[in-house]
Amino acid sequence: MATTEATVSRRTDPVSIPRGHLVRLAEMVGGGSIFLVILQSVLGFDLFDRDLWSSYGSIFVAGITRTLTYIALVLPLSVSVGFALGWVRVSRFRSLAWPATVYIEFFRGVPPLVIVIFVSILGPTLFPERFQSVELGLILGALAIGLHSGAFQGEIFRAGFQSVPRGQLEAALAIGMQPVPTMRYVVLPQALRLSLPPLSNEFAVLIKDTSLMAIIAGGDLFHLSQRFMDQSVLTGAGELHWLFIIWTAVAVVYFAMTFTVTRLMRLLERRVHARSLEGISI
Amino acid sequence: MAKSLEEQGRSRARIFDTLAGIALTVGAIVFVVDLFIGRTGFDFGYVGAEVPGFLAATQLTFYVTTLAYFGGMGIGFVVGWARTARTVPVGKILRDRTALLSEDTSRWEAGLETGRLVLWSGLKYYIRRIADGYVEIMRGTPVFVQIVFAWSVLLVNYPRLDRMELIAGIVALTANTGAYQGEIFRAGLQTVHSGQVEAARAIGLSRWGAMRHVVLPQALRLIIPPLTNEYIGLLKVSSLLVVIGIQELTGYGRSEAFRSFKVFEVFAMVTGIYLLITVPLSKVIQLIEMRYRIPGLGIQATGPESRV
Amino acid sequence: MIRVEGIHKHFGPLHVLRGITFEVPRGEALVIIGPSGSGKSTLLRCINLLVEPDEGKVFIDGVQVNRQDIRPEWARQQVGMVFQSFNLFTHLTVLENVALGPIRVKGVAREVAEEKAKQLLARVGLAAKALSYPAELSGGQQQRVAIARALAMDPKAILFDEPTSALDPEYIREVLDVMAALAQDGMTMVVVTHEMGFASNVAERILFMDAGVIVEEGRPEEIFGNPKHERTRAFVSKILR
Repeated sequence: MATTEATVSRRTDPVSIPRGHLVRLAEMVGGGSIFLVILQSVLGFDLFDRDLWSSYGSIFVAGITRTLTYIALVLPLSVSVGFALGWVRVSRFRSLAWPATVYIEFFRGVPPLVIVIFVSILGPTLFPERFQSVELGLILGALAIGLHSGAFQGEIFRAGFQSVPRGQLEAALAIGMQPVPTMRYVVLPQALRLSLPPLSNEFAVLIKDTSLMAIIAGGDLFHLSQRFMDQSVLTGAGELHWLFIIWTAVAVVYFAMTFTVTRLMRLLERRVHARSLEGISI
Repeated sequence: MAKSLEEQGRSRARIFDTLAGIALTVGAIVFVVDLFIGRTGFDFGYVGAEVPGFLAATQLTFYVTTLAYFGGMGIGFVVGWARTARTVPVGKILRDRTALLSEDTSRWEAGLETGRLVLWSGLKYYIRRIADGYVEIMRGTPVFVQIVFAWSVLLVNYPRLDRMELIAGIVALTANTGAYQGEIFRAGLQTVHSGQVEAARAIGLSRWGAMRHVVLPQALRLIIPPLTNEYIGLLKVSSLLVVIGIQELTGYGRSEAFRSFKVFEVFAMVTGIYLLITVPLSKVIQLIEMRYRIPGLGIQATGPESRV
Repeated sequence: MIRVEGIHKHFGPLHVLRGITFEVPRGEALVIIGPSGSGKSTLLRCINLLVEPDEGKVFIDGVQVNRQDIRPEWARQQVGMVFQSFNLFTHLTVLENVALGPIRVKGVAREVAEEKAKQLLARVGLAAKALSYPAELSGGQQQRVAIARALAMDPKAILFDEPTSALDPEYIREVLDVMAALAQDGMTMVVVTHEMGFASNVAERILFMDAGVIVEEGRPEEIFGNPKHERTRAFVSKILR
């Protein structure tokens, strides 16, 4: 039978950005700029103060780099942990679901900052003497952020699995599919797609959570900015209104990061047709 | 008829699974705890002596959280309302108005009226966009930054203010929770279908009556669970006040740990207190939610607990 | 072809199927009618083992399939199913939906499977929609794709669970036409439906079920024209107003 298509390749929508989004982007940039201008005049600072940036500039960049490193380290860990937890809780291995649930309840009930502080102190004690160092504390603290986020992602993935309509499972079984291929080709793809929207939110949270490293002197953007503030501004070596510039710039950087991630995730959602599935609530 | 053999087998397996699960969990916890205190043991005496101090710090946590929460609620309500303001595009207004033009109305009046509508619609639109922006900023930046920023503002402008850190912290938390509660209010107001308002008007209720008897009762049921979750979330966020030196529970715990070196004991106390507060509260919320839920109606809360 | 003997099924305290026994010879189109809650859907699902009967035997092509030592997948490959809510795989295109079974269950090569899928889609009149996603199709179109998906497995029989109940009226016709053509081509089918027109025109035999038992069975003329049992008469008169 002849079909109109010459090749049977997966049809891909061109990922074009609709005009409405461009308008909103312009609005955002415009509005943001106006807001910054107003802020500057009200609080009395100049965002592009040469004096400040000459001394702060390199620190600023170093902080951004370190923060990005933490993100790169922690994000994959949290997704792995979250996926494993979510899967365990809907799997046949009900006995494993218990520790998973306790894990999740623990990390959801305690502030992440507490986890970071104490893991960075207590964690190294588990290692033999020669490995114990400040750096180890930092790494463990960062991992703790990942473990914490993993708990929330566990809930997200669990909800994703449970949101795949039962009929999909039935249909797969009805054509004779065994449990493993059913999971692989029918349940998992849909569960992941359903998980994308809340996952993008959680990624934004994770990015902001990296700032917690500052409490244990983690050298991230917040920490380095805080140290600069303590050393240069509060000692009188710099202008007081430099504070506003520093923290506004830091805020802008974090905002840019979370904004980028959430918008990228939304593009991904559109590309894999996540919208055609129903959303989930947590 | 009695359970089939198959069902009996299944429930037996379930009991086994449950027991195995509990055993695994307890085993894991004991293992982990032993890792830390296996050599030194747990100093219960220290805990007994220091608990009052921690409870006092917890009081501060509650104080700050509650103050910020209700302040934020006011903001949140306004923000939520602003974000559900319905605006009509300018083009449509102009089209509608020109269609309504008749010969008797003076051009001048009609023009004035149209201008008023356009301005009003534009105003509503920009108020909504500002509210949107507010929420985006609060959600897109770390709370650490928000706290320090508020503190900076006070430092520069009111350097001799008594308890400046505390005020700055409360202000920052209020602004933060205001944004998140704004999201909750917005979702609640929007979820109640506009068809409900139509139906209410159709049976003769005024706009305010419809609001009072149809929209708000439903919206309230939608809003209360995420709102109470938000309180718990804010409680955890209050731990971040340590960054400006406020001795709420986390700050106090950190200082204590460095002072006494009884790190694991302090950790146990701090996490214990947090869990004792958050876990029961969450369960209670779940129960209330289940009792009062309207089947088929629910908000997609953006996980208010999972935020910093 | 399909035979069930003494099927009982409980859901908790509910005795949903109370001793069902019947047989569907090869090539027959059997329609099962009855009020809601009579157990019709459950019975269908017992045949392809989506539901395990508590008692009784299910035979497909002479082989008893509800045994511990046989995998349920074998039965499901012999007997296909079309669902009331279509259940197309939302993340796959129409073509991929139809080809998935042959590729992943039977191990057929992708090109061969997709070629066959295109033929089947043409057979149900949807060749042009091969690269669309289910969400882009109307209900009637989705259900026809579901039929093609069931056919792709070369089943010996197909079970239809109220295939048109979830459709808007204007789409019911196209699906029933496909089903009638299938019956015409000699496919063994068991259809649970409320569409009495289809039942009287296409069915070779009708079963009337109520409260978990088969009350009456016979040819369409008998069931609709001259029902023997009171309950059958009551049901038929209510439906055929």
